Amino acid sequence: MKGVSIYIYRDFIRWIRYRIGVISSLVLPAAWLLFVGLALPVTFTGNYLDFITPGILVMTILTAGISSGSLLMFDKMLGFLNKFLAMPVPRESILVSKILFVSMRGLIQATIILILAVLIGATVMTPLQYGLVYLILFLFGVFISSFSTAIALYLYDHDSFASFTAMVTMPLFFTSSALMPYSAMPGWLATIAHVNPLSFAINAIRDVTAGSIPVVPILMLFVFTAIFVGLAGYVFRKVTI
Amino acid sequence: MTAILTENLTKKFGDLCAVDNLNLTVDKGIFGLLGPNGSGKTTTVLMLTTLLAQTKGTASICGHDTRLAPEKVRDCISYVPQDMAVDTNLTGRENMFVFARLYGIEKPKEKIDELLGVMELSDRADDPAKTYSGGMRRRLELAEALVHEPEVIFLDEPTIGLDVAARRNIWTHIRTMTKKGMTIFMTTHYMDEADQYCDRVGIISHGKIAALGSPAELKSRLMSDVITVTIEGSFAPVQIEGMVVVGQSDNVISFTAENGREALPLLADALKSAGNRVKAMSLHEPSLDDVFLQSVGKQEEPQGFEELKFHLMLHRRH
Repeated sequence: MKGVSIYIYRDFIRWIRYRIGVISSLVLPAAWLLFVGLALPVTFTGNYLDFITPGILVMTILTAGISSGSLLMFDKMLGFLNKFLAMPVPRESILVSKILFVSMRGLIQATIILILAVLIGATVMTPLQYGLVYLILFLFGVFISSFSTAIALYLYDHDSFASFTAMVTMPLFFTSSALMPYSAMPGWLATIAHVNPLSFAINAIRDVTAGSIPVVPILMLFVFTAIFVGLAGYVFRKVTI
Repeated sequence: MTAILTENLTKKFGDLCAVDNLNLTVDKGIFGLLGPNGSGKTTTVLMLTTLLAQTKGTASICGHDTRLAPEKVRDCISYVPQDMAVDTNLTGRENMFVFARLYGIEKPKEKIDELLGVMELSDRADDPAKTYSGGMRRRLELAEALVHEPEVIFLDEPTIGLDVAARRNIWTHIRTMTKKGMTIFMTTHYMDEADQYCDRVGIISHGKIAALGSPAELKSRLMSDVITVTIEGSFAPVQIEGMVVVGQSDNVISFTAENGREALPLLADALKSAGNRVKAMSLHEPSLDDVFLQSVGKQEEPQGFEELKFHLMLHRRH
């Protein structure tokens, strides 16, 4: 779509010039990997690092994706959105660019985690496996950032949005299968974890690392992502016209 | 083709009528929409720039209806909101590049260099915009707005928050833009600037146009000039057609005249030949402030919106 690449260019330059943002987005997942992946005394799996890496990858995509709404919110608050909306480029390209940009930024972070994980002792995968991991993470990133932008378009100030994301992110992570398998969870938590979209992406990646190709989960993830992109597009059109 | 044409353009937010049956024709030159805070200026601009849907009526820009052919409208306009939205971590040139590419200019380098030169930003073009002064940021925004050679430019409070020198500079640039046949539609609440630089002004109050015309027309229509004369000794009355003595206190006499500048020498001659010894004369032209106050009436500070209306404004843009 016309305009998407130039909007991404703008967001990308703004991101890399904001150095502390780049550093923090890389330090946080690395800290999880080191302090939780290496330090936690677990008994339910042989290599806990292999077990938790998918969880940290998905969590990273979650925090990256959720910031998509924040980007749009700031453009709205600072007057950029009105300028862009009064331009002849298709308006939806603003939305598409935010979703693609944060998803790709998430994948950059994911790459760092994958490299780091191997360096500290995780199992090396085949190129096909890595490809599938990236595909799942990308779909999940689009899914989360669509959701986040739809919410940001409804809320009108950044504080409300920040409160919303804080409320959503942590509970989603801890009620997913990121830290332990269903079998090691108390019953009530396992029930929640089964319907948590995070678990869905995490389990798909674990299937990949275990050597199988999770066709059905990927297709389902694709369908859910498409629904949420449609939803974000609908809200965007409703709010901007 | 008329640059801007509105017919009964109306916008309601709940039961608040922000713009009330606006009928406006604007073509070439600088049109200034003046009005107190909350009078409907920005709402009008948002409707004309296809950012807000009206409740009733129509608006067309360069012959394109804002609701039926918004893409065509966006093709021939630029909109500079009052927020000063410049990416401060990007350089001036990078800011320009983003806008040029968004407007579909394939090889924008030359155009960017030219416009940065016009706006006197060439030597700072590769510095991050966060190091720019307010006036420079505004000029950068103007350069961005000009990049696709629009026919109509909408400027919302273009000089707000700038110092005197920066304001004058911005106005010089805006004036130059009109020489190429552009139409500038701007809002402001600086009456002196509107008086000095706008070709036509419309004064809006409670969503309605209260006065419309060139600043000079409005001033002469609404009141005549005032001439005050200080004489020495006693005052020998004079009779001149079109001039009326409105007051005398000691040896200061006030006259009103339709056109003070022309009346001034006539009055001086008449006073002299009647035997008065004139010590000083002064002419006070009515300012646009006077016109504004007269047409808008006694202004109350707007109370802002109620919470509910505020939400309506933000969300219900249909």
